[in-house]
Amino acid sequence: MPTFFLDDREVAFKEGQTILQAAMSGGHYIPHLCWRPELDPHSSCRLCTVIINGRPFSSCTQPALKGQRVECDTEALVAMRRAVTQMLFIEGNHHCPACEKSGRCKLQATAYLLGMQNSHFSHQFPVRTRDLSHPTVSLDRDRCIRCEICVRASRTLDGKDVFAIDGRGIGSGLAVNSPSGLLKDSEIAPEDAAVRLCPTGALMAKDQGFEVPIGDRLYDREPLSVVELREYKARKALHG
Amino acid sequence: MIQLERPSVPESVERILDRHGNRPQAVLQALIDVQHAWHHVPGAVVLALAERLGVPAVRLRGLIGFYSFLSADFQGDFVVHLSDNITDQMAGSRELSARLCGRLGVALGKTRADGRVSVNRTSCTGMSDQGPSALINYRPVPRLDAKRVDLITDLINARTPLDEWPSDFFVVESRIRRSDVIFRNALDSGAGLRASLDRGGKNLEAWEEDLAPTDARKHQLDRGGAETLKEIYRSELRGRGGAGFKAGIKWQTVREAAKGDRFVICNADEGEPGTFKDRILLTEHADMVFEGMTICGHVVGARHGIMYVRQEYFYLRDHLQSVLRRRREQGLLGCNILGSPLDFDIELHFGAGAYICGMETAMIKSIEGRRGIPRRRWPLPVHHGYLKSPTVVNNVETFACAAAISARGGAWFAGLGTPQSTGTKLFCLSGDCERPGLYEYPMGVSVREVLRDSGALDAMAIQVGGPSGILIGEGDFNRTLCFEDLAGVGTLMVFGKHRDLFDVITNFALFFQHESCGLCTPCRVGTTLLANYVKKFERGCGSPVDVEEVKNICTLMKNMSHCGLGQTAGNPFTDSLLKFPAIWAQRMKTAEFVPAFDLDWALEEARSLTGRDDARAHFPPVEA
Repeated sequence: MPTFFLDDREVAFKEGQTILQAAMSGGHYIPHLCWRPELDPHSSCRLCTVIINGRPFSSCTQPALKGQRVECDTEALVAMRRAVTQMLFIEGNHHCPACEKSGRCKLQATAYLLGMQNSHFSHQFPVRTRDLSHPTVSLDRDRCIRCEICVRASRTLDGKDVFAIDGRGIGSGLAVNSPSGLLKDSEIAPEDAAVRLCPTGALMAKDQGFEVPIGDRLYDREPLSVVELREYKARKALHG
Repeated sequence: MIQLERPSVPESVERILDRHGNRPQAVLQALIDVQHAWHHVPGAVVLALAERLGVPAVRLRGLIGFYSFLSADFQGDFVVHLSDNITDQMAGSRELSARLCGRLGVALGKTRADGRVSVNRTSCTGMSDQGPSALINYRPVPRLDAKRVDLITDLINARTPLDEWPSDFFVVESRIRRSDVIFRNALDSGAGLRASLDRGGKNLEAWEEDLAPTDARKHQLDRGGAETLKEIYRSELRGRGGAGFKAGIKWQTVREAAKGDRFVICNADEGEPGTFKDRILLTEHADMVFEGMTICGHVVGARHGIMYVRQEYFYLRDHLQSVLRRRREQGLLGCNILGSPLDFDIELHFGAGAYICGMETAMIKSIEGRRGIPRRRWPLPVHHGYLKSPTVVNNVETFACAAAISARGGAWFAGLGTPQSTGTKLFCLSGDCERPGLYEYPMGVSVREVLRDSGALDAMAIQVGGPSGILIGEGDFNRTLCFEDLAGVGTLMVFGKHRDLFDVITNFALFFQHESCGLCTPCRVGTTLLANYVKKFERGCGSPVDVEEVKNICTLMKNMSHCGLGQTAGNPFTDSLLKFPAIWAQRMKTAEFVPAFDLDWALEEARSLTGRDDARAHFPPVEA
């Protein structure tokens, strides 16, 4: 199998794999929030950015090439990933202590992983609407990081096309595909991949709050990277 | 002319869709027509269109939310968009905007209660040579002054239809100040195309006699394309949109793509503020541009050409369509062009107000009727472009040059300009110069020469290549305009010594914030943070720590952003901090950062309550 170098580690890859896929397969975690193994890459969160020949590329879209030298965990890149995570926090309204997703939220876990100690930038305190109209699914746009995992998952995994992005720039946000624009008139269901795969608390199933005590939650015992690599490996074993 | 009466909804939707061919890709073009007819896209029309096209309504709403010139709310019988480029501002647009709003009794960005009018600001409308300018009901009204604004107020209040307004209001001048060898004399229409076809051999019987007539003719056609490609290579023509990619490589890649559909797209989404060369080319030399596209079609084997024209130039639609019609009549477009087996035709697509759509992958999505979000870098459009087919995307000026190259030869073109930047280039001069307008020079002309010719005698700084380009001061005026030195789309905005360059930075910061598509985190959030810092400095509340923050955000955006917009949006900041630090320094409150919150002072209440005053009751702890 051909190999490339991720910092000093030699990583084997299959033809056609992206750098991120190859790294994950080899047990090397590259931070990411908008990437999911079962979905097409989106390249929007930019956390997985790596440097090749002095130029930045998102590793979720960049094909692995034989002998390539990829800078990934350099001090500068980690600092920039941390700053990007801080940006995600300050552009929304994230109240971790009160959020049911706390402890199993990928945004929060990424912040821990990257050593984020504060939000650094000034908070924008946007005014966004919540959609609690649906009996079993809630949408809290304050917590949305616009990774579009739900948009893609609803279309390709659920076959429903419930979500889309509206607006532009800092004012863009998640829109619901229903005549009223409300979740209650859409085809969403709590077991949908769109809900399950939401990395934050933006989309959640209702009526199942705070069931796991603090200390036992998904990312309380192990960091995000360990959990994600294990899930990726299990997925590979199942689906190849 | 926009009808003030609004026809009933379903009937018109049918008519509009019939005009655009009833396919999902037509949705943006249909929405533009709806906006022009009703001055908004009513909810009922969204649902009707969604049903007819089989597209979810939410995606239509997503288009309305994305494109600046589409709106869900009624914008009034008269919709005024005032161009808000820095050059418009320097010419008094903000004062005129206040005057217009005041006299009309309408708040900026709001529709007047009686539904008569709204006044909005928009990014540069491509009239920097004759600003301040506006679009009124999507038609340009350049050269605004107080008198004109007052007349406009009266006409709007009297509800006079636009057709009855003084016609000189709508006259857009082509201010061509200097022409050189390419654009001085218009090319005879068909000359470049004929040369391209003739390269395959003029006399069919003289060669390839053993092939059946059609095969022979096709072979001849193909040989002509191959020979013209050689001329394009010989010319060393590089893209005129700013990036400077070699046209020959692009064309060859599409030519060599596997069998199947392929497309030629002309990028007329001239969105870089201060740029207007494409407007003038499309007005004065549309034939040359269409001819360049047709020649490209010949070379790459495409049958379909699309010209993507920015919404601000919608007024050129009738003109462009009449040129296309005439070319069809002359046998220069359509089936069997000039009697050869070449089939090629061109359709117009319009943008709806999004700077990002000047980026080729975003433009392709927009043509497909989607939100103009730039796609990931690979695979390139030459392999995987419009409708997933190999696609050439070139700038208006590039195609015009290609037509000239085909007619006059690659060697002729390569003899002009500099070794790495052949040919001539069009430059758009605006701002503090006596003769704003279009200047054609051989590549490699010095900034100083252009400034002298345009009467920019008191220049302090020039923004070269628009806000995403480079800001230069007097020390750089001997530099040259070409790919080896100051590359770019050919825009020079001149700022005189009496200007405050911080106004320029503020304008650019707000421009990028407004135009960020919102896809990637660094650009979406970074452009907003930068705009906030500019506002902080504008209030005179800056500090050196803020300057460091601005620099860090710029570095982050440059390295982490998804596309060129985010990667270059920090340029005005880094350039001005480096070259004109005083404009930042004079807006600082302190020479160093002094936080409002003092920790030791905050502990005072606790100290007095507990009666403690030892070392550890202070912050930082005081030595005993």
